[in-house]
Amino acid sequence: MTTVSMVQLEEEIVRPRRDPLLIALWVALFAVALIWIAPFVFISFTALKTGNEIMTTNAFAPPRVVAWDNFSGAWVKGNFSTTFFNSVIITVIKVPLGLMFSAMAAYALARIRLRWNKLLLVFVLFGAMIPFQVMLAPLFTLVNSLGLIDTYIGIILPYLAFGVPYQVFILHGFFKAVPKELSEAALIDGASHFTTFRRIFLPISLPVLAALLILDFVATWNEFAMALVLLQDKNMWTLPLGLMSFQGQFSNNYGQLNAAIVMTVLPAVIVYLIFQRYFVSGLTSGAVKG
Amino acid sequence: MFNSANLHSPRTQALILLAPALGAYTIFAVWPMIEVVILSFQRWNGLTADRAWAGLDNYRYIFTDDPVYWVAFNNTLIWTVMSVIFPPMVGLLLALGLNEKLFARGTMRAIYYLPVIIAPIAVATMWRWMYDPFFGLFNQVMTDFGLQSLIQDWLGDRDVALYSMFVAFTWQNVGFSMVLFLAGLQSVDRSLVEAARIDGASRWQVFRHVTLPALQVTMTIVIVLSTISSLKAFDIVYGMTGGGPAQSTQMLAMWAFTQSMQIFDFGRGSAISVTLLLITLAVVVPYLRWSQKREEAAR
Amino acid sequence: MNYGKIAAGLIASAGLVAGAAQAEDLTVWTLNYSSEAQVAALDAAEARFEETHPGVNVDIVKRGTDEHKTALRVAAGSDTGPDVYFMWAGLGLGGEYVKAGLSRDLTDYYAKYGWKDRVSTPSLAFVEAFGPGMNGAPYRFTGEAIYYNKGLYEKAGITEEPKTYDELVAAAKKLKEAGIPAFTFGGTVNWHVMRLMDVLLETTCGVETHDALTGMEADWSTTPCAADAFKELKMWSTDYILAPFMGIDNRQSTNLFLTNRAAMMLEGDWQVNVIKEGAKLEDFAVYPFPTGTDRLYGFAEYLYISTKSKNPDLAAEFLDMFSSTEFQDQIKGAFGALSVNKSVELGDDVPELYKTWKDIFANAKGTFVNGDQAFPLDVTTEYFRIINEVASGNMEPQAAADAMQAFISKRS
Repeated sequence: MTTVSMVQLEEEIVRPRRDPLLIALWVALFAVALIWIAPFVFISFTALKTGNEIMTTNAFAPPRVVAWDNFSGAWVKGNFSTTFFNSVIITVIKVPLGLMFSAMAAYALARIRLRWNKLLLVFVLFGAMIPFQVMLAPLFTLVNSLGLIDTYIGIILPYLAFGVPYQVFILHGFFKAVPKELSEAALIDGASHFTTFRRIFLPISLPVLAALLILDFVATWNEFAMALVLLQDKNMWTLPLGLMSFQGQFSNNYGQLNAAIVMTVLPAVIVYLIFQRYFVSGLTSGAVKG
Repeated sequence: MFNSANLHSPRTQALILLAPALGAYTIFAVWPMIEVVILSFQRWNGLTADRAWAGLDNYRYIFTDDPVYWVAFNNTLIWTVMSVIFPPMVGLLLALGLNEKLFARGTMRAIYYLPVIIAPIAVATMWRWMYDPFFGLFNQVMTDFGLQSLIQDWLGDRDVALYSMFVAFTWQNVGFSMVLFLAGLQSVDRSLVEAARIDGASRWQVFRHVTLPALQVTMTIVIVLSTISSLKAFDIVYGMTGGGPAQSTQMLAMWAFTQSMQIFDFGRGSAISVTLLLITLAVVVPYLRWSQKREEAAR
Repeated sequence: MNYGKIAAGLIASAGLVAGAAQAEDLTVWTLNYSSEAQVAALDAAEARFEETHPGVNVDIVKRGTDEHKTALRVAAGSDTGPDVYFMWAGLGLGGEYVKAGLSRDLTDYYAKYGWKDRVSTPSLAFVEAFGPGMNGAPYRFTGEAIYYNKGLYEKAGITEEPKTYDELVAAAKKLKEAGIPAFTFGGTVNWHVMRLMDVLLETTCGVETHDALTGMEADWSTTPCAADAFKELKMWSTDYILAPFMGIDNRQSTNLFLTNRAAMMLEGDWQVNVIKEGAKLEDFAVYPFPTGTDRLYGFAEYLYISTKSKNPDLAAEFLDMFSSTEFQDQIKGAFGALSVNKSVELGDDVPELYKTWKDIFANAKGTFVNGDQAFPLDVTTEYFRIINEVASGNMEPQAAADAMQAFISKRS
């Protein structure tokens, strides 16, 4: 009993209750949050309104007649079943695979003494800094010369390539910080690096891996520019490409346009709501440590 | 060569572990980087088999004869400077505010971060619709409030278009720096803050003398990351204005793309890309050096 | 589990797949049209060909205008690509592909199927224009003219269709006085506003000079009518176009037109179906832009067979089917007033708009094409930029003409 009231007392000294500044702050933050969420509301409402209502009612007025056919119409016109499928295939293959490759490379660079470690690391990190948009044209010619335009492999390979730098960077830092005792014991017992990697390093880095997985999932899912260049066949388009094409072709059907936006954005939002904390930890683990 | 002893040598194991990542990276990231530089000295329209040597012609063209290059250059500069100032500033303010124990702060944090995970092209499409001069959100709301005279052609007026796009960009990216700052704020020593408050320091003084210095590292990271990601601005330009009106919102990455993949002058497009590459390096190499020094100091 | 059977099954189905792959695929790349009737016509082509050619799978890929151009260009540099592709026939578009060797010489097919006798003469204009041999088979021949809203014209007190340019300007003034924007355009798609520029050039320059300018043989900066045309463009943009227009596209502009927000639109004969599906045809009428030269503002669109096609004979059959009297009869009116097939005529039970179009086509003496078909790609891009600058009031007419010539001169 006494401890509780002691704590309460302390709080009251340091921070008087109902600090007007805090209340004002909260109100401000809340108002701004409303502004931040307004676009989502507007888009969702427009997606559910009929063409007539869109042109006559207020932006934030909920639809009087719910036009579900905007969604079905957009789904068909925008070829969503195909683009969704393609996005899933590409993401589901690339993300775990890329992470595995990056983890392997990061482990090697962090824990196996080679002459070239430092150099290779710089070589790889270099790629994290370069905007890949400058390489779209040669990338296209390269993939084309391999006959891989409009194929899953043709886009997964470049995605893998560009995912390596950031992931290796984060994992390298993480692996390097693992105490030597852990791996030394195993190595002395004759375990290969492969085993050490699999049995020791992978398990302890699960949180980081999970965070990177989530971040990479979203980045791959949302990728646009490379897909624009490497996937010309509309049957191979990913969700972002499908949306852009929809905008270009059906920009005057406002209800369907907004429905298309909602359908494109929804998967990422759902993933986010479920795996929230991994996003944050992924961002901060590498960046803050530097 | 592949006897068991060799297979177990650390060197071989390292090679095997490094091969997939390095292989993909070298072929699909490094080689195109090199090719961009080579292409910038050539003339190629993407159709013919051979590529003529053009020396410095492409560079000369983009610097002196291209009516759009310097527009794109300036826009990129303006955009980058704005990206380094505004979203991080707003992010910092939000982080400071949401660092306090407020009701529903978790929800609010989630709301601010949500736009970050949306595809930039989807953000572009959303905001393009919101800016629609006839049925879009802004013009509707402004008309409701009787502010019609302030209505602009948000994406069609060259004086406003770039900034309209930037607002959308800010909406999307504030959450990113907010999260980084929130993490950085966790490392601010609470006892220092409390001590200062007890000593009678105002909130502002606490901020200036305790919080801000502790956020130095985070600040640098946010600034550099913002710079790098802003130089990449592509999806949002493509989706909102396509570089228009009259190429007035062109930026280097987008103009390079236009030259190569829409006008099919790969040589010029590559030359533009190389200039963007150099600008990025000029920003990034100092950061690399700085972070190396820090790592060495920490050891 | 009997693995033997499974293995046999797998091998058999592999054989089936291989066999099915023998069944031919025909890929056709074309545009995605706004009107349902047009999309239906393309679907009908697919269905009809598959019916008459069992075992053939036709895939008609439809894209937006700019996307289609990019996709084809990209495919041109690779081994992927369609068997048949649609392209506008002029120098800057279809012609460029012919010169790059992407279009197959169709002389043999023309002889075999007798297309030359089948299609209308104006539509053949570009077949032999660009390379040795014959390239492309006519797909559409279109014209562009002024559509106007009868009700709005009445409201402004305009009783007759303008027959001269000055009358048109006077009509625009009347509309403005009545509070009605004269025209609507979509600025984001560049080629929409360009149409206004094209007809203005024809008006101020006349036939020969216009052709010399678009052929880049005359100097834009020293030819006064070029700056004049830009001056007119500026006037129209400042006073008579529904604003804001730079930020919307052509489809939104059509929406606005159909909802009576502006009186006129400069559009092609394909627009009739769009109007039919979005509003009431009787409310609108059409007349050619009074350039004073009697030339039709229009262009031809062709279907080309790609040199990379593995099924050129099949592709040729598709082209043959498309322009055949039976098929053109089946889809008549979908793409425009005039079929490329000479013997297919719209009957008399068609909307008034189509009848007017027939007259327009019949009365025209020659054609002039859209600017983006006359110029090569880089000049077109710059042309778009200059037009947009003038239209937004950011460039003076003479400066525009100078800039145009500067760009053209610097091309090596």
